[in-house]
Amino acid sequence: MLALQLLATGLVTGCALGIVAISFSLVYATTKIFHVAHAGIYTLGGYLAWSLVMYGAPLLVAVLVSVVVCAALGALIQNQLYARLERRRATHLVVLIASLGALAVIQNIIAAVYTPNILQFPLVWTSHMVALGVVRLNYTQLLTIVLSLLAYAGTMLFAHGTILGKRIRAVASNPMLADITRLQPQSVYIYVIAIASALVCLPGILVPLDLGLQPYNGVTPLLTATIAMIAGGVGSITGAFTLSIAIAVVQNLSLLVMPGEWSIGVTFFIFVIFMLFRPTGLFAAAR
Amino acid sequence: MRGVRIGMAALAAGLLVICTQARSETIKLGGILPLTGPGALIGTAEMRGVQFAVDQANAKGGIRGNQIEVVFEDNQAKPDQSILSFNKLTDLQHVSVVFTGYSGPTLAMAPLATRKKVLLVNAGAQADALEKASPYLINTLPTIGGEIEVLSKYLVGEGKKKAGILFENGAAGMAGRDDYLKYYPAAGGTILAQESSQFGQTDFRPALLKIADAKPDVMLVVITAAPQQMAQEFKQLDLKFTIAGTTFLSDPSLIADPASAGIVHTQLRIDAPPDLAAQFKAKYNTDMEFFAKQYYNAAQIVLTTLDKVLADKKPVTGEAMHDALFEIRKFQGLIPLEFKTNTASVPMDINIMRDGKDVLLKEMKPE
Repeated sequence: MLALQLLATGLVTGCALGIVAISFSLVYATTKIFHVAHAGIYTLGGYLAWSLVMYGAPLLVAVLVSVVVCAALGALIQNQLYARLERRRATHLVVLIASLGALAVIQNIIAAVYTPNILQFPLVWTSHMVALGVVRLNYTQLLTIVLSLLAYAGTMLFAHGTILGKRIRAVASNPMLADITRLQPQSVYIYVIAIASALVCLPGILVPLDLGLQPYNGVTPLLTATIAMIAGGVGSITGAFTLSIAIAVVQNLSLLVMPGEWSIGVTFFIFVIFMLFRPTGLFAAAR
Repeated sequence: MRGVRIGMAALAAGLLVICTQARSETIKLGGILPLTGPGALIGTAEMRGVQFAVDQANAKGGIRGNQIEVVFEDNQAKPDQSILSFNKLTDLQHVSVVFTGYSGPTLAMAPLATRKKVLLVNAGAQADALEKASPYLINTLPTIGGEIEVLSKYLVGEGKKKAGILFENGAAGMAGRDDYLKYYPAAGGTILAQESSQFGQTDFRPALLKIADAKPDVMLVVITAAPQQMAQEFKQLDLKFTIAGTTFLSDPSLIADPASAGIVHTQLRIDAPPDLAAQFKAKYNTDMEFFAKQYYNAAQIVLTTLDKVLADKKPVTGEAMHDALFEIRKFQGLIPLEFKTNTASVPMDINIMRDGKDVLLKEMKPE
């Protein structure tokens, strides 16, 4: 029973993490920018939805509005920050520092407006439980699994079945050639970050719906998602999603054999060893 | 010659201003508490307790004609932020007394308090290490060991002989875990499992599941933040054993949450007279909860000590405040206290949370 319940909670965490990893992977594989401010957008999505719900908006409306605002903010960051830096031939390190700055600004504005206290969504139904055999999950957890799988499938369809998706993959594959063939990489970058920001808004709402909101909670999921992206193979949507689930499940199941304080360290030690043997990542060839 | 006269007049006027200020100056005290972050609910209650006592004293004319001002700093319950705040208050505001809470921050500031001879007044933190952290640190409540010894005996006496421990990976949490490992078996119980959490963490499910797997009668909790989330997740997982803890669980948001029903905990005894509690509620539109009472009481101790220092015509320094406090030793505030050491001893009760309220279950006394 314990193993199954831990597996289920690991799946929930992994699915949410998977969407963070997919969205971060989209940005990094296409723009080569280590977009740390993504953690700020993840956090902002939750707070926006919370505000709208507090003002009486239905959750669906709150989610849709938050997704649009996050997408717009992502596009703004690309257009007004990263693109400007690129025009001035800034190095990757400078862009990373700028992204860190943007993250700090977003987090501190959130903390100033909402205070760093733990905030909870005033929605009772989200914590109602469903028993699936011996496993018990609440509505939010089930919603997280379903919506994350849909988001993953949607991203795959978008990347492989739409013109914009193919254009993004072409730019990611060879930006110089894409520029010559008039695929306009700069406008593609704006689309990519907007789409990634819209995507990351989803776990940014679903996780706090279950566990509450805190302004500085975006960094840890982003770091874990980054590891999943690298271990899964940079640029592989399936790799990032699968490895996110694997990390979360291993971390949860490790509790069966060791105390909780060891589980994070041991889990990442396993992945360090894995990377030594397959440094390009598990799904590197399956782009 | 005329210039000399004008200079003399200006000097005399300046001296007059200085003398006037010296007769009735504002005395500044400091408060370093978590006013935001996971500990904000308790920190805000603590701040209100201090401010309420100071406002009452100022309304009566201050302490020997001196108005009192408390400068509060927000440390978010973080030790590093606490040190910055401590240096700011002592170096820039020149405070000689600092109210503090939470074990990690207090332990971080204790060596600085010793070095700078600033009186640290703790009325909320309970890690055992606080007892001997600094001669300039006074604790107006006992450390967690005393509560855990009493709680362990009570629980084992009630037939709850198998326990799991959920502790926070910090100074207070680890001290509490060590105390449970010491006192629970000594009372005749067995510890079956122990799991940790991080300060501010809100996902307790894996730890709760692991503890549940050991099939305990009771889960002994030592966490100082997010107990409401812990109780909600406990209820969602439909776990059947009892949750028990110490005064750390006196979190108003937890008590008000239906998920807290059945939580048993030790509660250090402190009562506010009805009229005082009513005034507090009128001012802050909230009940005078445990931590507000504790810090109101601590502020009364400081103000009484300050009165003695001023009566003895001594400078208001941390050293003078420390010496005066131990000369007085016995204080009659919301609860009678005696400082035989740096840490006061007070009676306690066993409470249970029911219907959004904290209800007395049994009166106990520390041994």
